[in-house]
Amino acid sequence: MSKPHYDREHHVKKATGIGDPQCFKGEAGPAKFKVGDKVRIKDLPDIFYSRTQVYTRGAPATVAELVYESPAAEDESWDNTDNPVWFYSVVFKQKDLWPDYPDTFANDTVETELPERWLEPL
Amino acid sequence: MSSATRQKVMRHLDIVKQLQPSLHVETHAPAPDQVDNEHYRAYTRMSHDVGGEPDVPITWEEKEEEVWEHNTFVTCEVLAWRGVWNAEERRRRQNVDVGQTQYLGLPYYGRWLLTAARILVDKQYVTLTELSDKIDEVKKRYE
Repeated sequence: MSKPHYDREHHVKKATGIGDPQCFKGEAGPAKFKVGDKVRIKDLPDIFYSRTQVYTRGAPATVAELVYESPAAEDESWDNTDNPVWFYSVVFKQKDLWPDYPDTFANDTVETELPERWLEPL
Repeated sequence: MSSATRQKVMRHLDIVKQLQPSLHVETHAPAPDQVDNEHYRAYTRMSHDVGGEPDVPITWEEKEEEVWEHNTFVTCEVLAWRGVWNAEERRRRQNVDVGQTQYLGLPYYGRWLLTAARILVDKQYVTLTELSDKIDEVKKRYE
């Protein structure tokens, strides 16, 4: 009667036998960045949900790997799967993230995976 | 440009540390102009994004999972196989939708369990009256 009816299994059907995120392969279009590119993390609005850590916003990073295609966490967390994007593994220098990071460990890095919509060319 | 953002981020982290959940504090109902942009961002931030928050080291304790924790994990996986949620929706609900007080205050699998019940209600697989009647019935078995 008053209950919404939609295909709640569309995602699981798509991924069964293939895997997730493998089931989104080829759906994101051409990648905007390549390995070695310098990027900066955008400071987009992030109400409700994101997996892009606030401490990375505005910081420079280097693309280490194109990892997979998948809906961004902001979309997938409401099961919106129509807009897969490229995910990049990016590397930060710890000194670029933390003002007080000791010079003794100036070569320390941290690596994390972010969807393309959060990256801009540097 | 970058440094302005970085300053904003660092200031945000400074503000967030003042928002730890506390008990026995009278709440206030602020007028709209009493919440500035920085505090709006702090209030609406995601509770799972703890990176950069000042904190103290905690002791690592080896602990085997308990039976109810295994059962909770299996329940949540089965809900995924049935298309009730995907892993990202599960994480959103467990780690962010619960809010900071529950995120910090409940055990890890306590959040899983509470969220498994919540999604069944949210997506109308059970009604809240059915669920609470059942909880009440089960509780009475142990009284």
